[in-house]
Amino acid sequence: MMKNTLLAFALLLPALAVAAPQIGQPAPDFAVVDSHGAVRTLEEFAGQPLVLEWSNHDCPFVIKHYSSDNMQSLQRRYTEAEVAWLTVISSSPGTQGHVSAAEANQLTTTRSAAPTAVLLDEEGTMGRAYDAKVTPHMYLIDSNGTLVYMGGIDSIRSANAADIPKATPYLADAVDALLAGEPIPNSVTRPYGCSVKY
Amino acid sequence: MKLTGWRWRGVVGLWWGLLVAASAVAGVQHHPHIAVELVPEAVAVAPGESLTVALRLLPESGWHTYWRNPGDSGLETRIAWQLPEGVTVGPVVWPTPQRHPFGPLVNYGFEGETWLLSELQLPTTLKVGESLELAARAEWLVCEVECIPGEADFSLHLPIVAKTQWDTARREAWRAARAALPEAVAWPAQFAIEGRELVVQWQAEEVVAEHPEEAYFFPDADDLIDHAAPPQVVHRAGEWQLRYPLSSLFQRPPEAVTGVAVIAGRGYQLTALAGGEWQAAPPSDPPKQVLALWWILLLALAGGVLLNLMPCVFPVLSLKALSLAQGTAKARRERALHGLTYTLGVVASFALVAALLLALRAGGAAIGWGFQLQSPLFVGLLAMLLFALALSLSGVVAFGTQLMGLGDRLTSSGGYRGSFFTGVLATVVASPCTAPFMGTALGAAVLLPPGVAMLIFITLGLGMALPFLLLGLSPALARRLPRPGPWMETFKQAMAFPLYLTVVWLLWVLGRQSGVDALALVAVGLVLLALALWLWGRPPGRHPHWRNGSALLLLLLALATLYLPATLPPSGVSATGEKPHSSGYRPYRAETLAELRAAGETVLVNMTADWCITCLANERVALESEAVRSALAAQGVVYLKGDWTRRDAAITDYLASYGRNGVPLYVVYHPGQEGQMLPQILTPALVLSALQPTFSQPDL
Repeated sequence: MMKNTLLAFALLLPALAVAAPQIGQPAPDFAVVDSHGAVRTLEEFAGQPLVLEWSNHDCPFVIKHYSSDNMQSLQRRYTEAEVAWLTVISSSPGTQGHVSAAEANQLTTTRSAAPTAVLLDEEGTMGRAYDAKVTPHMYLIDSNGTLVYMGGIDSIRSANAADIPKATPYLADAVDALLAGEPIPNSVTRPYGCSVKY
Repeated sequence: MKLTGWRWRGVVGLWWGLLVAASAVAGVQHHPHIAVELVPEAVAVAPGESLTVALRLLPESGWHTYWRNPGDSGLETRIAWQLPEGVTVGPVVWPTPQRHPFGPLVNYGFEGETWLLSELQLPTTLKVGESLELAARAEWLVCEVECIPGEADFSLHLPIVAKTQWDTARREAWRAARAALPEAVAWPAQFAIEGRELVVQWQAEEVVAEHPEEAYFFPDADDLIDHAAPPQVVHRAGEWQLRYPLSSLFQRPPEAVTGVAVIAGRGYQLTALAGGEWQAAPPSDPPKQVLALWWILLLALAGGVLLNLMPCVFPVLSLKALSLAQGTAKARRERALHGLTYTLGVVASFALVAALLLALRAGGAAIGWGFQLQSPLFVGLLAMLLFALALSLSGVVAFGTQLMGLGDRLTSSGGYRGSFFTGVLATVVASPCTAPFMGTALGAAVLLPPGVAMLIFITLGLGMALPFLLLGLSPALARRLPRPGPWMETFKQAMAFPLYLTVVWLLWVLGRQSGVDALALVAVGLVLLALALWLWGRPPGRHPHWRNGSALLLLLLALATLYLPATLPPSGVSATGEKPHSSGYRPYRAETLAELRAAGETVLVNMTADWCITCLANERVALESEAVRSALAAQGVVYLKGDWTRRDAAITDYLASYGRNGVPLYVVYHPGQEGQMLPQILTPALVLSALQPTFSQPDL
């Protein structure tokens, strides 16, 4: 009996192992308060594609994509196409990019940003669950809750906005392919940017 | 005054123009948090020669720039050249990088003055008397916690002369810059992708390292390894093997893995080729390889022998040994057979546990030795088993004598079966007692190929069975045991008490894992078990079925009490959760450790578990002694404690990074240095001396 117990226990173990997010697997769950005080979960976006954007408004790589209106136009383009877009801020209090709810809303206004919501992940729980490393780090989840893209916003790793038109827009390509029902060309790419300030 | 748009732009343009004009002449340019300079090795060059030019980076203290593979974030420094026709330039030659942990991320880069070298080849068509015009634009990202991108334009005008004139004023600086480069070596090196891990292995017999386990490999490719995870390092006989979890960006194995190996602060540029059956001993170096394995096997054997002295094993085995001694000279052959079957029992059990452990590791589960005791159900069952054995020794019931091979059934076949199961039993009850030697042997074992790992576990079992096997095989030895007599009954009963104590200890572990309710319930279960055994031991009377049935029912009820601890979520009361402030430690988290180290704190890490006796003893004797506590306070050392009582993947990873897969593990981090591992048995003096700052190890 002892051996059976050991065996039974042993067989249970792999199921308990913690795993990093993987393409083709269910995206990690989250429950994070947004800048309007509502708790947002993965579940509520079931049935529609969801883009996650890790952000830190003072990071030069984020500035690159906001000063050029690249990020905002992607947000507008896809939220109009019924894609949900969550901007996630995982900077812990006292670090670069950490903002209050009011500041987050003000940033949205001043930058003319158009995300579905801005999530304030102060504890970094969601960031760690997604293994978000940099800002901007982008993820795409399909309407079944499966992670289908993770990585950079585009292919040229620089803080120079002049590079944006020359780059392959990895995230936009992924969302367009998903909306068109086609396979995603590069489902994992190298993200670039500032480290997430956990 | 308000500037209109075009005027504003004009002012900026003018200012920018002045800046560029100034920079083209001046050497050092100052940018936010960093100064940069383009430094040619010669002041005048000859046609057809080569010329090395350095981009000299001088970040402020605490700020860093990035290597060609920047790690989890950041951006490598880039140089774009504008060269006259015929002049060619090679790729940037980088110094040996350093690891910069930040929270859960790790970057590769450089603090302090850094020289990035570019090798220019000049054509023979250059005309002596003219001037060589070189222009370069450098782009960098300089970070402390926050990052600032920067760029600078440089131009160099070098007279073309018949014979190159070196910049003698900077000869020393150039020497230092070249000394900081990784050495190009032709070491045999291989890599393999095993499951979700990259294994890199190289041979470097000529390299001597005081701490070979601190070796590191910086891969050139940024999508290969999880940069934040420290590698598992195995070093034996001039051969290093580093195992990293794969990056989440990893897609397909490359043809070759290139990068920089760092051993004892020196960098070596390596190319590792895809390896097939690469665990095989390399033909050039068979004796050393065998020696290293023998050393591990010897440790395993010694650890196994030590297990016999553990309080949970000794009572069971001492009785078995004495029962052997009862045999007469005629029974010599039987005695040998008993020794052998017992050995078989132990070895088979060890092999079973090893197979499970290896299968699980292959499946990617984060477990280590002692993992059985992380299950409250297993701990509860073990408590019941030991309690039943103890009751049987106390004479409550004769149950268990068969298992232990006591009595006069020595010559019957049932006796041999008894010997076999004594071996199994001994292995089961030995599992809480991780002898100090086993940590090293088993830590190495799981990193080795499965066949070798199995060999080590079997050797461990052999070590455990060894005293008994010798008794069985050597009549001379057996004769030296005390003569059997009525005193044996007294001895047997006395031996019950260490077992009772072991039960108390297991209950305590269970209580810490599942809370006081579960503990009380299992204690009731023990009483039911005692009742069942007592009934069993009564004379059958008129209705033996009634008696046996009740005993069986009680036994099942006793086992049912394990339901609660098995299903209850972790209680939250743990070795680290209790009284965090009064005891002066903080719970271990990888991020906390990285932050503290980044902040230049001295940190003491203690990885422990409630079921680990060695750990608890070390805490009582050394870590929580007045001397150590006051030294920790006086020197401002941060004491982090990790609790492995229940499974914890982060701690398993940390243990693996030091080549261990069990507790205890003690590591001291001095500011700017790699962790220094302490022995598994601590004394206050040893801890105090480890806390003294040392300056021996360079930063990686």
